[in-house]
Amino acid sequence: MKTQSTLKSLLALALLASVASGSAEAKLNVITTIPDLRSITEEVAGDLVNVESLGRGTQDPHYIEAKPSYMLKVNKADLVISIGMELEIGWLPSILAGARNPKVNAGEKGNLEVGSSVEPLEVPKGNISRADGDVHPAGNPHVTLDPIRAGEIAQKIAARLGELDPPNAAKYEAGAKALVSRLTEKSRDWDSRIRKSGVTQVITYHKTLTYFLDRFKLENPAILEPKPGIPPTSGHIIDVIKLAKEKKIGLVLVENYFDPTVTTKIKQEVPGLRAVTVAVAVDGAPGVKKIDDVYEGLVKAIEGSK
Amino acid sequence: MFHSKRSLRPFVFVLVSVLVHSVSARAEVAGKPFNPDLSVNFLGLLRDSTNASENRSTAPYNGLSLQEAEIQFYSNVDAYLKAVALFSVAEDSGTWGIDPEEVYVETTSIPFVTFRGGKYKLALGKHNQLHTHAFPFIDAPLFQTKILGEEGLNATALGASLLVPLPWFSELTVQGFSLANEDLYNDPVASTSPPTGKTGFLARYRNLFEFGDDATLELGASASTGKNAFGLSTKLAGGDVTLKWRPAEGGKYHALIWNTEYLRAIRAGRTDPGGSGVNDEKIGGLASYVQLQFAERWWIQARAEILGAPHNEVEPVHTKQSGLLGFFPSEFSGFRLQYDHEVDHARPKPDHAVTLQYNVTIGAHPAHAY
Repeated sequence: MKTQSTLKSLLALALLASVASGSAEAKLNVITTIPDLRSITEEVAGDLVNVESLGRGTQDPHYIEAKPSYMLKVNKADLVISIGMELEIGWLPSILAGARNPKVNAGEKGNLEVGSSVEPLEVPKGNISRADGDVHPAGNPHVTLDPIRAGEIAQKIAARLGELDPPNAAKYEAGAKALVSRLTEKSRDWDSRIRKSGVTQVITYHKTLTYFLDRFKLENPAILEPKPGIPPTSGHIIDVIKLAKEKKIGLVLVENYFDPTVTTKIKQEVPGLRAVTVAVAVDGAPGVKKIDDVYEGLVKAIEGSK
Repeated sequence: MFHSKRSLRPFVFVLVSVLVHSVSARAEVAGKPFNPDLSVNFLGLLRDSTNASENRSTAPYNGLSLQEAEIQFYSNVDAYLKAVALFSVAEDSGTWGIDPEEVYVETTSIPFVTFRGGKYKLALGKHNQLHTHAFPFIDAPLFQTKILGEEGLNATALGASLLVPLPWFSELTVQGFSLANEDLYNDPVASTSPPTGKTGFLARYRNLFEFGDDATLELGASASTGKNAFGLSTKLAGGDVTLKWRPAEGGKYHALIWNTEYLRAIRAGRTDPGGSGVNDEKIGGLASYVQLQFAERWWIQARAEILGAPHNEVEPVHTKQSGLLGFFPSEFSGFRLQYDHEVDHARPKPDHAVTLQYNVTIGAHPAHAY
């Protein structure tokens, strides 16, 4: 009897707590799904917001675990920024549901998906099937790897921050404009350096670098994964070796969260081919602290492959 | 497996109609955006056990079988609620049936608290809340099946889950539920005798602590009470601890999970149906397992269990050790090979069993809890 009455009291406590809401803070709390979005938000907002990323630069953003501690962070958030395009579909919905923060539910002002605001690449046509691997119906979601699209994303973030915090809207807009200007200028330099390197074709592990390669007009004739999300097989690696020899491809870029040992056989079979592990996200390697560093690291990897 | 048997035909007709409609609607992509997400999961077994026979009317039996199929619908209802409807199709004593395993609505728009109403797996410990395809091993632990029954503690309930405002993840769940579990609340001799109470109560409190980016430690405690057929209380208490390690760097290829769960039940007034004359049956069970991911798609696992801790006069001590090798070609399919050595002191010989399971999911299935 006593136990029942205690449990009833707990239920009443839960009901009471439901009407309590978090205290307001001067700075907006922003949570991003990946560190690239954290870096872009920092460029836009500076010290005006607190921003933290759930995912780390060393993690594959498709497969991050929905830790309950992330729910706690999202519970305190004013804005959650994600890529969308089904990049985080395996883990973000659980975090949003467990956070019990209606401000950041899908469709609310506190929930921003930026992927759909830029022009997508590799949008599948016709019937989509999981027999084709991890295909994203809305297109390749690794949009932040193009510096120009990253600038467009910055403007989208600035606009939403301005809606949530109107007194600082002009500062957010200015932050975004400064990033767009800087990335546009640097892109000219990166493009020039890539042209000078003589590299025109690159093999990658996954279709992570599609937007970067497209921006700088680099071909991607082979992927180490036989299909998106499917680990390399020995038969497929033999096909890649054949293609690399035929097309005289001299560079393999392995995204930092994949196992680089798969390239050992390719390096043995293709004389002069170089395989480089590259950071494809902020914090993906020591020294990659902001979004510019990601592109700079990729360009340096290409330049080193003359 | 089922509380009641029904003819499958009308359910199959309805489900096939809905499936055909939903699948064709998804093919049109954005044409029918309000259809619920739909997924089907099914589990097949090939089993060989020294103490089982090929007689398909007594589970578990040797040979090929379909362990279970689950059909799940999931969607937001409106701006305030989401709903889940999950139907389980399985064989019981040679007869196929379909049951509403979980059908509930849950709030989405209230700060700090989620209210849930409907029929669902109650928050008693960690394992009780898992669906069959998400079990860490092919079978449920002994404490789950021997204390709570084949279906676990799954009842019509109303509950609230509060995110406690502390610096770490801390969640308190309270639930009031119907006393429908026959193993816990009915008289095992006169099974038609109903429980004397209307509602049982349950509370679970869990906390999760992070150790850097790589590891978490989760501690949970649960307790429940409800009036049984003897006018007395059936009480349940349990605790669970889970340590997870997945490095932020290299975590695609390596991970470790250690879980231990204990459950104890006191069924006051219940007389041993075996004729020992013992009242107030007390029974406890513990299971502990380790899962090690040693390559991108491979896991190796081990589990040790004891039922009868502490030992009681009604149930003889029952122990089991299991080993498992799992291969997962993708997140939507898996193959697991499990060996079990089970010693039930009520049986003359220990059991050695080898089971191969395939586990397949099609459609849009929501992510499992951490």
